[in-house]
Amino acid sequence: MREPRTAREEERQRRGEGEGSSPETRSALLDAIRGVKWPALRPVVGALPGAHHSRLRGAAPELSEYRVYRQGDDPKRIDWKLLARSDRAYIRLAEDRSTVSTLLVVDATASMAYPDLTLGKWKAACEVAVGLAAVAHTSRDPVGLVVVSGDGMRRLPPRTRRGIVGELARALDDVTPRGSHALAPAMSGIRSRIRVAIVSDFLGDAEDVRRRAGEVAAAGGEVHAIHVVADEELDPPARSFLAVDPEDASLARPFVPEARAAYLERFAAWRTELAASWRAEGLSYTVARVSEPASRVVRRVAGGALGTGRAAAPDVRRETR
Amino acid sequence: MSFAAPLFAWVGGAIALGVVALHVLAWRRPPTSLLPTARFAPDAPVHTVSPAMRPTDFLLLAVRVLAIILVSAALAGPRFPSRIQGLGRVIVVDRSHGSDGWASIDRAARSVYRAGDGLVLFDSAAHAVRSPTVDSIVAASPTRASGGISAAMVVAIRAATELQRVRDSVDILVVSPFGGDAFDGATAPIRRVWPGRVRTMRTGVPPNDTTRARPLDVRAQSGDPVAVALALEAAAPLGAVRVVRDSATAGDTAWARQGGAVVVWPSGPGDRGWNPRAAPDTAFGVTVSSLVAGSPGSPARSATVVAPFIRRAAPPPGRVVARWDDGDPAATETSFGAGCMRSVAVAVPPAGDLALTPAFRRFAKQLTGPCLGAYAWAPMPDSEVSAVLSADRARNAAQTLSVSDTRARDSTIARWLLAAAVGALVAELVMRRGAANATA
Repeated sequence: MREPRTAREEERQRRGEGEGSSPETRSALLDAIRGVKWPALRPVVGALPGAHHSRLRGAAPELSEYRVYRQGDDPKRIDWKLLARSDRAYIRLAEDRSTVSTLLVVDATASMAYPDLTLGKWKAACEVAVGLAAVAHTSRDPVGLVVVSGDGMRRLPPRTRRGIVGELARALDDVTPRGSHALAPAMSGIRSRIRVAIVSDFLGDAEDVRRRAGEVAAAGGEVHAIHVVADEELDPPARSFLAVDPEDASLARPFVPEARAAYLERFAAWRTELAASWRAEGLSYTVARVSEPASRVVRRVAGGALGTGRAAAPDVRRETR
Repeated sequence: MSFAAPLFAWVGGAIALGVVALHVLAWRRPPTSLLPTARFAPDAPVHTVSPAMRPTDFLLLAVRVLAIILVSAALAGPRFPSRIQGLGRVIVVDRSHGSDGWASIDRAARSVYRAGDGLVLFDSAAHAVRSPTVDSIVAASPTRASGGISAAMVVAIRAATELQRVRDSVDILVVSPFGGDAFDGATAPIRRVWPGRVRTMRTGVPPNDTTRARPLDVRAQSGDPVAVALALEAAAPLGAVRVVRDSATAGDTAWARQGGAVVVWPSGPGDRGWNPRAAPDTAFGVTVSSLVAGSPGSPARSATVVAPFIRRAAPPPGRVVARWDDGDPAATETSFGAGCMRSVAVAVPPAGDLALTPAFRRFAKQLTGPCLGAYAWAPMPDSEVSAVLSADRARNAAQTLSVSDTRARDSTIARWLLAAAVGALVAELVMRRGAANATA
């Protein structure tokens, strides 16, 4: 059962600040990412035709090479013109393109509801997720969503139908980031060879998430980590206050000017370690600051910015029979 | 204002101080703010954080302290003394100068005294009677000391000020013969301190009224030399003087108590109580000083008789008013009530012309003066008494005192205090919830 709204949430509702972005923002985002392609980091294996290079070679119109006819090949694939010219039988080979299912895992726990008045991290996460969903949908990739919050997980299976991006956006708008919940179980039951984009601040079960992501990648999948960071976390206010973890009220630390330097150092070291651990697994890691436009983050994720650590997957092709 | 249960007020004050102290301590904790990355801040004890005071805490503290004070004041039961409508009075009674005039002063004071009035008795000093009644006047005994109206007015003004708390207005009424000796230079300034009305009631005649010369009362046998000498001298002392040539009777004693001067001048060997000499001897001179003392401008006079006197007894102990030539007391005086008894041990020979000599006649006249300390007493004219005491003050009209009966206020004030306390508690609750939601 969903928990009743807190006074803070009611305040935001009264101010008209929804948990998601406004339609105007979404429109501007979609306009900004029009034409962006999100190619798969490695050849995919899929039956449906799509935009991504397939690991299979089939009878696609686009010619890639010829091969000597061998017993057992489909005679229909013999290039008769070449046979007439060369008096040898060759088979036409072409690269197939396939789709790749894309699953967006969005963290909607209490740590994402920061700053508490503007919900900057949550809004940024929603925009990045919607942007990636739009980019994937443009390539006719099935797009799905898993939202993890204190109320549990809400799933939208990957679909290619029209309007799926709108459904995802509405699903995100209906969510209020609250509570605490592990993120790793969201990737349970993921089929291999699926592309997963995790939009989170990774302040929860980061190790478990990374481990599960590595399993997905090892099984042939593709995992992108989008680390959402608020400007106020990178540069906290200079006043003295008692900092309390929104997901763990017992974790309270005095934040005084003398402790500020230590905090910045520790936080930076943790981010560096997190990035290094993800990249060491061959996973994609991207930092998304709240103040950064979501379109730029989407381009960086989709385009594979430098330092993402994408491992060059071996170009293994398996012929179809 | 007073409290029926002041303990509640004290406890409430202590609790309020405690709340203030807690607020001050609370200020040492910094304000709380959510930060998802709080784990990266160094772990340190919270109380080391420097204080950050929020202005809203002052208001919450004030509301809390106000609520506590209102509750404690309501439980303490504030009381306001009720006022009784009407005129209050302070009766100032002169009991100086003996008892002869005291009867009329007593009657006059009792006739004007009402229950609830204040009572001040004075002679040379004044004091206010606690919880006075009409019997307090009856029980008061006159004294021979002279009166002092200045001291009486000081005490009367204090008493009137106290009475003013429960009366709409207060008057001072002075019952006295108002002799000149009762007034001094401080009387008028002291009177001006009191803004209310002062009324006077002149009555009573001081017992030692030496303003009138009275015929000398001599009780002696016919042809008594002392009586002859006094008659020849036309002695007319100021005041009441009685000369007895035998022993003093009970009537003489009573007369002395009432303020008269009884001169016991036995013609025989001596009165009872006198000390007989071991052996009669002869003295050849006796001197008496003036018995009219204390009179301004009146020098003391003496009279001496040189003649052989046979001394058979010594007068009883007392103040010496005459001495033999060898210094032994020849006449003494003792106070008796408001008057005195004067014992003269000068034996006048029944024969001879000693009593006819001018010296003896002056000697006898001196011995038959009023009691020691008596002085010429003159009443202050009414105009002067009014000018000093009775002038109404213009401030009387401006002296407005509440005539409302405030007895009913005591019970309603506690209810209003409780209602205000409830309001303050509700306000505190609202403010506290608002602060909690703000940090939620």
